[in-house]
Amino acid sequence: MSSQSTPNAPETLVAIRDLKVHFNLGHDRMVKAVDGVTLDILAGETLGLVGESGCGKSTLGRAVLRLTEPTSGQVLYRNQDLARLSGKQLREQRRHLQIIFQDPYASLNPRMTVGQIVGEPLETFRLARGREAEQRVQELLETVGLSKRFIKRYPHEFSGGQRQRIGIARALAVDPDFIVADEPISALDVSIQAQIMNLLEKLRREKNLTYLFISHDLRAIRHVSDRVAVMYLGRLVEIADAKTIYVEPLMPYTKALISAVPVPDPEVEATRQRIVLEGDVPSPINPPSGCPFHTRCPYAIDVCKEVVPQLVEIKPAHYAACIRISPAVPHIEDVPPGTAPGLD
Amino acid sequence: MSLLEVKNLRTYFNTDDGLVKAVDGISFQLERGETLGIVGESGSGKSVTNLSIIRLIPEPPGRIAGGEVLFNGEDILSLPAEAVRKIRGRRIAMIFQDPMTSLNPFMKISKQLMEMTELHLGHTKAQAYEHAIRMLETVGIPDARARANSYPHEFSGGMRQRVMIAMALSCEPELLIADEPTTALDVTIQAQILELIKTLKQKTGTSVILITHDLGVVAGMTDHVIVMYAGKIFEQARTKELFASPGNPYTKGLLRSVPDPTAEQGKLYQIPGLPPDVAHLKPGCPFADRCERAEEICRREFPPFVELTPDHHSLCHFANEVYVESVNAKRA
Repeated sequence: MSSQSTPNAPETLVAIRDLKVHFNLGHDRMVKAVDGVTLDILAGETLGLVGESGCGKSTLGRAVLRLTEPTSGQVLYRNQDLARLSGKQLREQRRHLQIIFQDPYASLNPRMTVGQIVGEPLETFRLARGREAEQRVQELLETVGLSKRFIKRYPHEFSGGQRQRIGIARALAVDPDFIVADEPISALDVSIQAQIMNLLEKLRREKNLTYLFISHDLRAIRHVSDRVAVMYLGRLVEIADAKTIYVEPLMPYTKALISAVPVPDPEVEATRQRIVLEGDVPSPINPPSGCPFHTRCPYAIDVCKEVVPQLVEIKPAHYAACIRISPAVPHIEDVPPGTAPGLD
Repeated sequence: MSLLEVKNLRTYFNTDDGLVKAVDGISFQLERGETLGIVGESGSGKSVTNLSIIRLIPEPPGRIAGGEVLFNGEDILSLPAEAVRKIRGRRIAMIFQDPMTSLNPFMKISKQLMEMTELHLGHTKAQAYEHAIRMLETVGIPDARARANSYPHEFSGGMRQRVMIAMALSCEPELLIADEPTTALDVTIQAQILELIKTLKQKTGTSVILITHDLGVVAGMTDHVIVMYAGKIFEQARTKELFASPGNPYTKGLLRSVPDPTAEQGKLYQIPGLPPDVAHLKPGCPFADRCERAEEICRREFPPFVELTPDHHSLCHFANEVYVESVNAKRA
């Protein structure tokens, strides 16, 4: 749901500046998992980050929280570079940034009770103790739709959806204002996915949260996000508001991605023209030169192999990285063959 | 005669938690050349149904407790094991969700494909090899002749699934069972694989059973759908009919809980609660606790399987009312 109708420009909560995360595999081999991402996440919005496996979306999410150390670049939280803070200051700031993981089975300590799991951050950040902490844990469980009777139970006694709720309660324990939700619904059944999406949306409104919502599921992303950023082989290739990116994708990869999503309507499916891409996502170890998408792009021309496209504001608040389009000719179908208006 | 007719199939498992009736008295049929979708959430019994059809239920703890699986009129459940082995792979082929665990990691791709036709079609090595190459080309493996000598780990997930499809189709089976074939794949690769299954189906006339949790995949790929819940068929209908006028509250809830990318954002419909523990089902309808229109009778009596039209059935005390509502809503 859009909350961006306020007349004043919304404040940037988290600013990502030319962030790079490179993993050295030895033997001169390097994975550029995140390769120069710049992105503003606005206070109160849900920014959806979508891409296929290996595109670097989870690494980006982790690097924003410094759970993975970036190779270079900056992450500013309320204009403060977290990397420059130390000790007490860092601890104090860090609690405002939390994460929810994909696999609710692997991310909870099986030897801790629900009460301990949710209460641990309260202790770590010295926010509450004893009776007060217990009270707080009970409130948190209720907030995420779990009975406070569960407090002494262990994770294995719960279903996937309930475990995800426990993970959410734990993230909320420290009153964060920014949460990275890394594929929070991917491991869940359809009926449970809807419950978790609604819960996250409710919490966002009630607690003024800001989300970076990472998913490969475009239908979910379209539903929960205000804006969507599309990632391919370590780079952002398109950013626009959620509706626009679905109705009017500009970058050829986004077009293919959107058209590949099955729509739960047989009549629509029967008449749909799908762009089926050739081949696989190239290995991030040896990414293609120039535009990383040129090996699969139906519109690629020779110059695409050489020039790395930058994100350009093609339409108001709609950015795309493709040299074959420009603000004057935003739709690639209208571009004369063999030309690259983005280079002019 | 239908290609496949499943009658009152029951598959039970003995667990520490008691007897689990994973599939509990389901019946359906599949005509030649058609695709049947089986939808359900985890634990609904959709995979067990298909493992039962090809007699791959691990016994113990499982056992097929009753029913018939008529394949071209012949009951697979009462055939000797040797006869079933001849059908499996030859006339009924399967592909599974994770191609890595279904391929032998120590064996060259070509060898694995060759085994199929050497065993089932009596091919010589040379014939089998040429056939393997042709199949790899058919499923779109680039440079098939060179890549046939690779090992599975040298292929990407999408390519491995193509190899699985090549293997499954190498003996021109009459029935292909695909259990979540694209769930582990990225969406652009999923589109490739689904497109491939469609094209090959048209070419060979193979019937397909497609098991999936993704209603979008069902909408695009199938002629008929079965919706399973707690080991039962809750609804079955032609695909168009099921999406247009569902006659069961569970199906309706499922359809409404998938975000529609073409609609405006807003609160998503959610089915409350959790799927039931199949080992401890209460009397009455297994969905009653989560159902918004459940009444007292639903908690007391097991619902009837109501015929809404000759090829549309729903397991619900209020099937007719739900169906009429759907039809009217569609008209409005």
